[in-house]
Amino acid sequence: MVKKIAVYGSYRAKVPVWRRIWKQRKDGIKQRYWKKTKRLKTVRASGRYEFYGKGKDLSRAVARAYRFMPKDFVTVSAREFVRHPERYGFKGEWIEREVRS
Amino acid sequence: MKEKSDPKCILGYTDTETVMLDLDNTPFKGVKYWAFRTMRWFKLEGFIILESSEDHHHVVFNREVSWSENMRIVAWISLLSHNPMLEKWFVMQCIKEGSTLRVSPKMNKPSPRIVFRHGKQDKQVREFLSVRKLVKKIIWKAG
Repeated sequence: MVKKIAVYGSYRAKVPVWRRIWKQRKDGIKQRYWKKTKRLKTVRASGRYEFYGKGKDLSRAVARAYRFMPKDFVTVSAREFVRHPERYGFKGEWIEREVRS
Repeated sequence: MKEKSDPKCILGYTDTETVMLDLDNTPFKGVKYWAFRTMRWFKLEGFIILESSEDHHHVVFNREVSWSENMRIVAWISLLSHNPMLEKWFVMQCIKEGSTLRVSPKMNKPSPRIVFRHGKQDKQVREFLSVRKLVKKIIWKAG
């Protein structure tokens, strides 16, 4: 079984605001849609990365994880995360708060 | 000159095949008692005790086990020791499907340090120590 390195804690990040819009369909039904806006809001949350892979990749992934905050609970290969960190997290900063392992 | 960052996230080691315990609010004497009792009852070959802060300890056992056996052992200890913190930790590990122990410093607490070793150290303990060394190297490079 693969051994993993966990990177976890509380963070502050800027996430896009989703706007709710209603559209009148041709068949007369009013349907709700969500639209991603350009506006950003600051949120405080906690998340976790579980990285697996080789030493060099893990080292690089952890360095990236310092700047990219996890989207909830993410288990990903370190190499894959290094290639596309924006797929698994968004930019932000870690903050010191009491969290359990 | 580029300023060095001070990351506030926590780095830990996660595994399913290593029996790990997080004994909070338990003095060293109590931790040693539970470590010996568990090792003998489940034939876990050996263990190490790490002190994460005062009266907060981690225990890592040597024998490789399956995930179900791992949780069976942790459930046994948490039931007999009547430690609510261990019970909470056990439930969290069940949800995550993997036991995690902290390796890096956290807030004003330093990295856990080894305070006691007993028995064989050639399997999971060795693995744990090698990953711990890697994580410490990563922290040192980043810090």
